[in-house]
Amino acid sequence: MVRQLVTGCGAAAWAARRARVDYVPNFPITPQTELIDGIAQWVADGEWDVEFETMDSEHSVMSAAVGGAAAGGRVFTGSGSQGLLLMHEVMYIASGLRLPIVMATMSRGISAPITLWTDHTDFLDNLSTGWIMFHAQNNQEIFDSVLQAYKIAENENVLLPVMVNMDGYILSYTVEPADIASQEAVDKFLPRYNPKHAYFDPKKPPLIQGSSVLGDYYTVFRSQQHKAMSNALEVSKQVFKDFNKQFGRKYDVFETYKIEDADYVLLVQGSMGTITHEAIDRMRAKGKKVGMLRMRMIRPFPEAEFSKVLKNAKGVAVIDRNLAPGRGGIMFPEIKSALYEYDVDPIVSNFIVGLGGNNQTVKKIMQIEEKLEQDVKKGKGSVDWNDLEPGTDAYSILSKYKK
Amino acid sequence: MYKVRIHCRGGQGGRTAAKIIAVAAYKEGKEVQAFSIYGAERRGAPVQSFVRIADGPIYERGYITDPDCVLVLDASLLKTVNVTDGLDRNGTLMIVNATKPLKIKTKAKVVYVDVNSIAMKFLGVPIYNTTILGAFVKLTNIVKLKTMEAAIKVVLEKMPHAVEEKNVQAMKACYDVVKV
Repeated sequence: MVRQLVTGCGAAAWAARRARVDYVPNFPITPQTELIDGIAQWVADGEWDVEFETMDSEHSVMSAAVGGAAAGGRVFTGSGSQGLLLMHEVMYIASGLRLPIVMATMSRGISAPITLWTDHTDFLDNLSTGWIMFHAQNNQEIFDSVLQAYKIAENENVLLPVMVNMDGYILSYTVEPADIASQEAVDKFLPRYNPKHAYFDPKKPPLIQGSSVLGDYYTVFRSQQHKAMSNALEVSKQVFKDFNKQFGRKYDVFETYKIEDADYVLLVQGSMGTITHEAIDRMRAKGKKVGMLRMRMIRPFPEAEFSKVLKNAKGVAVIDRNLAPGRGGIMFPEIKSALYEYDVDPIVSNFIVGLGGNNQTVKKIMQIEEKLEQDVKKGKGSVDWNDLEPGTDAYSILSKYKK
Repeated sequence: MYKVRIHCRGGQGGRTAAKIIAVAAYKEGKEVQAFSIYGAERRGAPVQSFVRIADGPIYERGYITDPDCVLVLDASLLKTVNVTDGLDRNGTLMIVNATKPLKIKTKAKVVYVDVNSIAMKFLGVPIYNTTILGAFVKLTNIVKLKTMEAAIKVVLEKMPHAVEEKNVQAMKACYDVVKV
């Protein structure tokens, strides 16, 4: 194992290389460009012999990825924001054809207005694509998750594509240390891909596409896809165990921190996990009973597991770095329905923060916790835009234009 | 935790400077995080880069609003950017690329270094990101001169050897010029 300094993009590129990927169709977009840059450099320097294909758009990238995976290749690509949206149509085809493609995504707010900075609306736009979805909190987890992703995706009981999301800039362009496992160690965990259903053989064409079906067949296909998604939950747990055995790093469908005796739980995603970790430490030092639940696996959605760890909480803050206008945070209703399903009844508040990269700090997380305590006292959850509080830049902009 | 904030303009290499500082501190066994913010990808636009250096794991992320050290690569930024933001504490330091003292309101120690003339002499271009690191080493003692030299070579690895060497020389020349 070599611990070294990498960006989030670099960690994803290293994982693809260690996974001995066959084919990387690609198109650059900020904040994903360094992924393409890095792989292109390796190919140019003769360090990695991979089929690296530059395409004319993200729609073509995903189409090529489908072709590559249908022909039996281990396929990797990456995108984010507008690029990810342009792939959207073909992403359904990838999952419908049950192709184990793995894609790293670098979250960035969606235009308009245009922004280069992170929020998770682009990533969470894919909740119904049939892709397994992971969200990483640091560069180590990006590397690890991509390796786990291939193992899950290629499992006979799953055969679905996987996205591994990282926050644009905050991880994708941030340099921090990560263990880049040796080729030998990765080979042991993730052997070479041996496709059983997808291959290129004109004499024995596999049935993968082209048929137009009526509702009965369609329903059967879709229900199998749904079943495969449920299987992915159990398969993933086994993969996390195998991963821990090989690399000594523990993962689960989510990460909890000091949650066992916590009255107030902050529910976050992505790189906000680390600042929340810091905030929890500072609040615990003041005697507050707070904990964190960081969502890692978003699809399939582990609702039973969620409900179990939240059953003792008095209040839960769902911190959404995304927005579905007209509804609020995207994860808010998902969490509420999971709790309802399992008869767990804390006060649940929604905090919509960090849109378009609006800087999130330990202090802001502590503010959110204060507000959650107030909501619990009132006995009623709320929807709160913490970044629009008096004293923030957003607040002064808003006041300036308010008549 | 030691926090560094670098102010420059797009194309002046603030991001690379942040990476070099991170690599150097990491070589000396520290935990590090280097990160930059910029609006559009264009030359001349104000850019901020950040480095966090600590003995243990770093959980904080995002902008640094309470830096221990600020590097200003382009003095013209003083007109438009509040480069002293959060710099009011004791023991903080600001290193500015300028030939003479400028009007800066801060309680922090301000050091002016004529980085431009050193860069022009060794590199022949007005790019100061590696040169100013000499002043950083001398004034902060965060990393050793030798380590900074090695870090420049790591980060500029893909450049021709001569370019790498010149950058190291410029950094060292700056180190020699600066008085503690």
